[in-house]
Amino acid sequence: MSDELPQNPSLIALVGSPNCGKSTIFNALTGLRQKIANFPGVTVEPKTGTVKLSGETSVTLIDLPGIYSATPKTPDEELTISVLKGTHANITQPNAAIFVVEGTNIEKSLFLYAQYAKLAVPTIVVVTMIDAIKGSGGVLDDIELERQLGVPVIGVVGHRGIGLDEIREYLECGDFQPPLLADNQVFTGKSTIEDQHLWAREVAREVARLPEMDSFTRRFDAVLLHPVVGPLVFLLVMLIFFQSIFTWATPLMDGIEAGFTGLRGYVEGIVPAGIVQSFLSKGMIAGVGAVVVFLPQIIILTLFISLLEDFGYLSRAAFLVDRIMGVFGLQGRSFVPLLGSFACAIPGIMSARIIPSEKDRLTTILIAPLMTCSARLPVYILLITAFVPNSLVWGFLSLQGFVLMGLYIIAALSGLVIGKIFKSTLFKGSKLPFLMELPPYRFPAAQNVFLTAFNRTKAFLTSAGTTILFLSIILWAMAEFPRFEAPQNASTADIERLQLEHSALGMIGTTIQPVFAPLGFDWKVTIGVLSSFAARETFVSVMGQMYSVDVSENNESLRVVLQRSITLPAALSIIAFYVYALQCMSTIAIIKRETGSWKYPAFAFAYTLLLAYGAALATYHVGLLLTS
Amino acid sequence: MNEIPVGSSATIVGYTIHNAFTERLREFGLIEGTIIKLLRKAPWNGPIEVQYGHSQIVLRPDELTNIQVKRMM
Repeated sequence: MSDELPQNPSLIALVGSPNCGKSTIFNALTGLRQKIANFPGVTVEPKTGTVKLSGETSVTLIDLPGIYSATPKTPDEELTISVLKGTHANITQPNAAIFVVEGTNIEKSLFLYAQYAKLAVPTIVVVTMIDAIKGSGGVLDDIELERQLGVPVIGVVGHRGIGLDEIREYLECGDFQPPLLADNQVFTGKSTIEDQHLWAREVAREVARLPEMDSFTRRFDAVLLHPVVGPLVFLLVMLIFFQSIFTWATPLMDGIEAGFTGLRGYVEGIVPAGIVQSFLSKGMIAGVGAVVVFLPQIIILTLFISLLEDFGYLSRAAFLVDRIMGVFGLQGRSFVPLLGSFACAIPGIMSARIIPSEKDRLTTILIAPLMTCSARLPVYILLITAFVPNSLVWGFLSLQGFVLMGLYIIAALSGLVIGKIFKSTLFKGSKLPFLMELPPYRFPAAQNVFLTAFNRTKAFLTSAGTTILFLSIILWAMAEFPRFEAPQNASTADIERLQLEHSALGMIGTTIQPVFAPLGFDWKVTIGVLSSFAARETFVSVMGQMYSVDVSENNESLRVVLQRSITLPAALSIIAFYVYALQCMSTIAIIKRETGSWKYPAFAFAYTLLLAYGAALATYHVGLLLTS
Repeated sequence: MNEIPVGSSATIVGYTIHNAFTERLREFGLIEGTIIKLLRKAPWNGPIEVQYGHSQIVLRPDELTNIQVKRMM
């Protein structure tokens, strides 16, 4: 008997075109019960989530990447189609699917439906944004649509919760129907793209009367894409964006750092000095702090980007800057991740997910570490204030500020030129040139925006965070072992310096110093550079230890010591090295997470190191020539 | 298609070449007979915004050369 009852399907796919409102429905149905599926070898990670039904029952929903047709042309589409066909190696075939029709563009969705129907997956159709249809005087005949498609049709407004109970009912009873179209006589022999479009046009005309074009969108675009006003608004938006991650996050980050410093002080107060204290304070707490300190920037940046994305501005911004990015072989969408990387490459690289083309995304991720992040600032400030005269250019520009700005510009231009090189060699030829939809403007739903930020933050903590912590502890161990017995009468600063000098890190530093000698680095600088492979700003504190001066009070004394100990060409060479080198294990960890393999972080590390070495070498020798 | 002025409409006649990209354009609905309107061009020979039906898409000018259109008066 039970055979006759419809089976409760346990894995349901969400299918639809990009921007159709799929994720709003996914978020509304699953809420916080979602996870970013981490399938081996899959860089586009479909999200899965649990939908609670009556009693103890629940089903798993998998949000597959948006598709434009059943003939995949991007890795995202390949994933979706192979999962639906049941040919994907790691993801099981869903029992049924919810096909999402974009209420404001029914014809487009129906064309996709005609292609999708051939896959013969049991389906219910959900029409999104029915409020937008009705609000602008349109009409939707869902009964006629149901008749034409042969599967249940439900109208929803995702963020308002309208229609969700009906979807849950279907999830519960499992009454999904295979699309009629597959063997529908209307459709026989009509397998060309053209025929499917004509069918979609006809059905769309029969079931819905939509307003010509969203007047709200038309009026907004007249301003936001205006040849003069558009770029000005764009600059303003980017200014706010940059300010928010650079300036607004700083007090929070300072607060977090102060908190962790306080915690370290507290632990050092109650745990007796020695290796246990050092592990807790410099290993564990400092390591956790190194992870947590990125949260303000990541949260602010992801909130900002998902707000712009949901509103529909991100693709407009890409339209405006595409020409400039095109000079460097990239597309407009690369702009925002690269700009974000000026604050910190971690959120910048995470936001590269907004780039649909895989090759462009990888190129952007690989050059993002070259954008001058805020961790380089302490190093630049220390060396610039020590070696660049505090004079004025043309009577009003600070020479030091001028040099600092120059470093930002050199780094950005280098990154773009290298991006061009990567695009014309490694990631040559894309199957698809630039083609982008401009979705109608929509008021962002708070739930969507917050869930996106929440998911990204969680992904950072669970995946990159653990790697960062692990690497911090390894670096701590390399600086603390083997143990060195300092003389009884040595000061705390001396003990720390002697320990570092005799540690594995110190020994490596002195051993490989000859490699860095052509750059003008002595062994102390070499140790400073090596230890800052964990995080660049470490350079300042390690140099402080190396020169046994108290850097916690002010940099004044260290600056004077550096002026005496390092020559000007060597100082410029250090700066050149920091412009290019990827000395940040957090960035390495996030590249691994976002590309799904160690191949890309290894490559990024290697090429930036090569570049850094070359730049420092050239700088040092040109400097020597000029000063001699 | 990159020769029609901003603000004017045209009917798609066909494609001069056939590849994955032109197939994608056809999947987007740019098939023979589709009426398109050129909404705007980004400055300095930047991308071009095209509207048809309820869709608005953006293309680069050099990618438009393969789309043949007949201008509507």
